[in-house]
Amino acid sequence: MTARSTKFGVDEKERFMLFLIAPAGIVLVCFEIIPILIGMNASFREWSLVNPQRTWVGPKQYIAVFTDPVFLKMVLPNTFVLMILSVGVSVALGLALASLLNRPFFGRAIMRTIILLPLTIAPVITATMMRWSFNDQFGVITIFLSCLGLPDVAWLSDRWPSFALVIMTDIWIWTPWFTIILLAAMQGLPPEPFEAARIDAATPWCIFRRVTLPMLRPVIIVCVLIRAIDAFRTFDQVWILTGGGPARSTEVFSVYAYVLAFVDLDIGRAAAAAGIGALIMLFVGVGLYRLVNRSMEVSR
Amino acid sequence: MGLENKLARALLVGGGFCAVCSSTSAQAETALSICYINHPVQVANVAILEKWAANQRVKLNKTVTSYTVYLPKITQMLTSGANDQCDIIWNNDDWGQDLAQYLEPLEDVPNARKVEVGQLEPFHTADGKTTAVSMTTTAGILFYRTDLISEAKLPKTWDDLVKISQTLQSEKKVKWGYVGGMSYTNTFFSFWWTLWNNSCDVYAPAYERDNKKLAANGWKPMIYSPCQVQTAEFWWDALNSKKISPPGMTTYSRDEANAIFQAGDAAFTVADTTFLGTFNNAERSSIAGKVGIAPFPVGPMSNGVHTWIDVWGWSIPKTLPNDRKTAAKKLLGAMLGDPDGQIEQWNQTGGPPPNTDVWRTLEKNDATWRRLHTILFKPDHVHAAYYFRNWATVHKVYSDTLIRAMKGKREDIAATLKAGSDAIHAGATAND
Repeated sequence: MTARSTKFGVDEKERFMLFLIAPAGIVLVCFEIIPILIGMNASFREWSLVNPQRTWVGPKQYIAVFTDPVFLKMVLPNTFVLMILSVGVSVALGLALASLLNRPFFGRAIMRTIILLPLTIAPVITATMMRWSFNDQFGVITIFLSCLGLPDVAWLSDRWPSFALVIMTDIWIWTPWFTIILLAAMQGLPPEPFEAARIDAATPWCIFRRVTLPMLRPVIIVCVLIRAIDAFRTFDQVWILTGGGPARSTEVFSVYAYVLAFVDLDIGRAAAAAGIGALIMLFVGVGLYRLVNRSMEVSR
Repeated sequence: MGLENKLARALLVGGGFCAVCSSTSAQAETALSICYINHPVQVANVAILEKWAANQRVKLNKTVTSYTVYLPKITQMLTSGANDQCDIIWNNDDWGQDLAQYLEPLEDVPNARKVEVGQLEPFHTADGKTTAVSMTTTAGILFYRTDLISEAKLPKTWDDLVKISQTLQSEKKVKWGYVGGMSYTNTFFSFWWTLWNNSCDVYAPAYERDNKKLAANGWKPMIYSPCQVQTAEFWWDALNSKKISPPGMTTYSRDEANAIFQAGDAAFTVADTTFLGTFNNAERSSIAGKVGIAPFPVGPMSNGVHTWIDVWGWSIPKTLPNDRKTAAKKLLGAMLGDPDGQIEQWNQTGGPPPNTDVWRTLEKNDATWRRLHTILFKPDHVHAAYYFRNWATVHKVYSDTLIRAMKGKREDIAATLKAGSDAIHAGATAND
């Protein structure tokens, strides 16, 4: 019998595993854990970028953020509306496009490539393109809509049109991501349930609703979970398109924290806002995670 | 002697020669990094510095930064004590007071004090030493289309501006009467030039920038005073009822506003004089050669034209090693002592020369300069910023409040402005 060599209560196999994950662990500690701890420390201090005295003030910064009417009445609702609408519409469109691309037709390969294009463009560039396309004087889309005889819309200067544009841009960027993942999932589904449904004379819509969708549910929920967390921290599109305006009416969580940090140069309050955002996301993430688990069990 | 020995000796001699050459050249050439934004007048001034850098055997590395990240980046660099990023930085009066404690006093730079009275005060340390030297004077001015409006018919009042605009619009000569930046940080080109020309300001007493006097007056916001309400109503009408300005103007930076003016779609704009060169550049502007400058039209409560005049400057971080500080100061001194370069900067951009001695040369030879000088420097002046820690926050609150008023009903303007008053007061007193 060969005794397994142990050192510090860790056997050779475990040591090898630790060795393999060590680089990722070091990166995680250096670039995630330590900055988070520094940020949390900053959130309990009066910390202006201009005059970094770093005076300890306890929960003052958290109270200030929680009692800020802009944060409560504008920023949080906007963030969740953006998250729900963007993720909801993107997943619906992604599912529709994946279903279309899952069928054989002439030029399918080209279509797949074209649909992926928005994902290959940096969000900053997409947002800049949208901003100028919807410019009220020179915008290509504004002029096109005007030529169709449609009434002029102040796309970027009124609250709801500009917020709609932010959501549209986010959907434009993220629909291809849903499409590609759902398409891959569809192509991995077993053919038997579909054949059985066709023998039972089920309509295509019925097959989609009763067979495809339930079988895709775990994938959809994982996608929604990942994307929802990502949508909560959307910054580029909002900052470039509206800057959170007009008059902060399209401000979302990341823009709120950015303005505190880089316009007001108030690192302490910005860190508190970021901490609150992380807590909110933790609750939302745990909720969605439980939903995923439950759904997985149901689908098994 | 074998071939190998000969080769070895040749390599030794060659290597030694190269080492001597490279060390000599390294000793002779100092490298300086200059950090700035891609603004026409800064680019023109950097060209002067480059010319002198070559002359002084200084290698000038240029770091161009986006305006939106410039201040946080530079502030972080200065407060962390880093001395390996920027040796010369662009400095603006808006944040000159905040940064002064981290910057090298520049009293020993030749010609540093050759500026208009009071222009370097925002850059002073506690003991009154300047931490910046001028690169230009930034001042807003009314630009107009000389092919559409004769000098005799220039608007003197806001009412004139509206009437002339509407006439030109009705004759289909332009799409818009007036266009200007209105979004946050572009407040100067719409709300503020009219505010200052209606005997009004952000805090009472109007035009005061001495923090002690403002504090003695309780940092009283003027945002719901009649002069401010009148100003907001003027812009509401311009956007919504009289329609002399595009309704989307609340979102415009100077980029959008300049694009519309340069496309020939507007009769008037207010912008920094430093865009005169761009407006008259035929490659960039369809109205090149048809652009004139004029004094601001005044509001009903005005007691005379007020212009804003401030310096954009160059500064040197305090933490630099002495040899780089000396080289940077020498370079800035050379720029300030270069009349030809400064006149070239004026010709290219419309940015006034940093050294006021050069103004006298232009006064003799340049009709456009004489006109600009009369418009800008003869009337009373106001500083475009206030000089306390939370000024950027107050500026944003002010901008958001005014834009909210523009998007609401006309009858709600006074109430909307009053709602912003507490935040504007709190911004100034937060650090008391």
